[in-house]
Amino acid sequence: MEELELETVLELARGHDAEAFAELYRRYARRVFGLCRYLLGSAETAEDATSEVFLKLQRSIGTYDGSVPFPSWLLRVASNHCIDALRRKQRERRVIGEAEADKASIEVAGPGPSPLSEIISAEQQAAIRQAITRLPENYRVPLVLRYYTDLGYDEIAKRLGLKRDHVAVLLFRAKRELRQVLASGKE
Amino acid sequence: MDCFSELTYTIFADGELAAEEARQVRSHLTACARCRELVETLRAENRVLKEVLGELPQEAGERVGLPWFRRSWVWGDLALVTAMLALGAAVLQWFDERRVPAGLEWLNPFSSAGGMNLIFNLTYYFGHGGAAVLTHYADIMGWLALLGLLASSAVLLGRRWGRSRSGLCLLTVVLALSLPSIALERRHSEFVTVAANETVDDSLVAAGNTVRIEGVVNGDLLAFGRTVEVSGTVKGDLVSWAQRTEVRGIVEGHIYTFSQSLDVGGQVGRSIYAWVQSLRVDDKGHVGDGIVAGAADVGLEGNVMRSVTVFAGSADVSGSIGRDLTMAGGNLTLANSARVGGNLTARVRRQEEVRIAEGTTIGGKRDIKVQVQTTRFAHPKFYFFQAVWLLAAMLVGWLGLVLFPGFFQGTTQAVGAGWRSVGLGFAVLVGTPVVMIVGAATLVGIPLVLMLLALYLAAIYLAKVWVGAFLGKILLKRGTATTRDWLLDLLVGLLIITVAGFIPYVGGLIRFAVVCLGLGALAWELYRASRPAATI
Repeated sequence: MEELELETVLELARGHDAEAFAELYRRYARRVFGLCRYLLGSAETAEDATSEVFLKLQRSIGTYDGSVPFPSWLLRVASNHCIDALRRKQRERRVIGEAEADKASIEVAGPGPSPLSEIISAEQQAAIRQAITRLPENYRVPLVLRYYTDLGYDEIAKRLGLKRDHVAVLLFRAKRELRQVLASGKE
Repeated sequence: MDCFSELTYTIFADGELAAEEARQVRSHLTACARCRELVETLRAENRVLKEVLGELPQEAGERVGLPWFRRSWVWGDLALVTAMLALGAAVLQWFDERRVPAGLEWLNPFSSAGGMNLIFNLTYYFGHGGAAVLTHYADIMGWLALLGLLASSAVLLGRRWGRSRSGLCLLTVVLALSLPSIALERRHSEFVTVAANETVDDSLVAAGNTVRIEGVVNGDLLAFGRTVEVSGTVKGDLVSWAQRTEVRGIVEGHIYTFSQSLDVGGQVGRSIYAWVQSLRVDDKGHVGDGIVAGAADVGLEGNVMRSVTVFAGSADVSGSIGRDLTMAGGNLTLANSARVGGNLTARVRRQEEVRIAEGTTIGGKRDIKVQVQTTRFAHPKFYFFQAVWLLAAMLVGWLGLVLFPGFFQGTTQAVGAGWRSVGLGFAVLVGTPVVMIVGAATLVGIPLVLMLLALYLAAIYLAKVWVGAFLGKILLKRGTATTRDWLLDLLVGLLIITVAGFIPYVGGLIRFAVVCLGLGALAWELYRASRPAATI
């Protein structure tokens, strides 16, 4: 099963072949877990969400039409699942709050070294990952959808029920927050 | 030209700026080195973010995938299972060495004395309020449950297959109209009496606080009450569930009874099969065939024409037994007036617990053996049957997973809902028999009831499979969905459930909770499956 082409595995999975699902799990579980981990914030919840995504996959594999690569499709399924989970968790308040462009974002920018563009060592990468997981949910979710799942602004806006401009502002603020956290960590 | 805002450059670096604005930005960048440097920094940031996020969080390697674990799962898991077995054996050994003081045995609901006490107290409770209350309650609940079940099935199915709705409604009406159709003669009231000058030509089902037969019942008598007294004649069999069953008259057939006490002072044409606390055949009692009984106390003063087999705490024989007497349990006393035509076989714990008076007549051989009480855990047979049980459950689990992968895994997942599953499962466990009883009272309902019964029993069996798989998953800390891992989780979970089920006192409760949890998860998954599939 391990050496089979993805297309073949998908075909078998459509026929509800348990081994094929196991193979899909083996290939993509880590990617899905990573996404869930970043989106949901805790490893335990992410673990459960990963299982649920793969359970869901067994029911919905028939709806995959091949128009996007399978890994991207699966990550979108997973991100939807996580967003639903976040919404359920905090139904009272909006998960991703509306954001207005603030003063800093419309100020004329100046260049300068950014701790985000500089650090590269493994240790520093780990520091960035940790900083991302500690971001507030309304910054973390769009950031992860953009740079992990590779979704465009329009698609992120659609999934989170926001306007496109607000997505841009949230991403901008998320990065600014990261820079500040990392800069203070370096001092 | 003025410089753009940092937000605009951020959107530009993401490639998400509208075409016209992007063109203006590009044109500005050719002229402004400062802004060019900023955009380069922003792009570098994006690259770092993608790169960093592309590397999975540290736990990903630990929790999911685990290539090293997959290669050596057999050894790791075998070690785990072996360790658990060893621990389980040690715990069982420890429990087995504990002894409950004999004086407290009646409090222990899992001992025979405690169980009998509990059952008859419950029976008395219902009997005291009149069995009719229970019957009425069951009637009403059953009606409601049956109609509710049918209505919801009709709505549920109707939603999916609109055209079948009218047919289902018709079925509901037919079932409802055909409810009262039992052919036996039924009587229930506080006192059910068949008077001395009365003859019932059919079989009689009687329920009441006191059921008294002074006249003649030409068929069988099925009696439920606090007291069942037969001083007249029952030409068929007597089946009774009562706190006290007393036969002073004649029962021409067999007696099958589950009572706290059975007193026979009259004639029984055939045999007595009894599970009672106290069984007494007094000196006027005559049993035409034999006796097979499980009882705390047995007293035989009358005549039994054939063999007597009793499992008893204590048995006193002063009457006559035509053939063999076989007894296992506590102590056996044969008075000098006792007569055993055949062999005497006794299995007791101590030699001195068998007392045979000097004038006792025993026609055949005496075989008295002292059984050293050994724990069942010391018999290899016990482990063999447990292994068979486990294998069967694994096989059933595997079949279920192959045939209905989504459903089986979904049900396993639903076990995790905890109290929701327990509550739902308890409702299903209790409600289904009520529905079946009411359904069985209808002519057209019987095939449906038989199907429901088969499903009910299968679900009770499968409950441990789902709970086992869930438990294993939790313990092995896996978020996996492969068949092999699911089965391994199942094995670990079933082992734990099995071992836990043998713990004295709480073992029974654990098994009960497992059944409730599993049934609840099944009910929930069935409900979920009946809804349109969620879009993702």
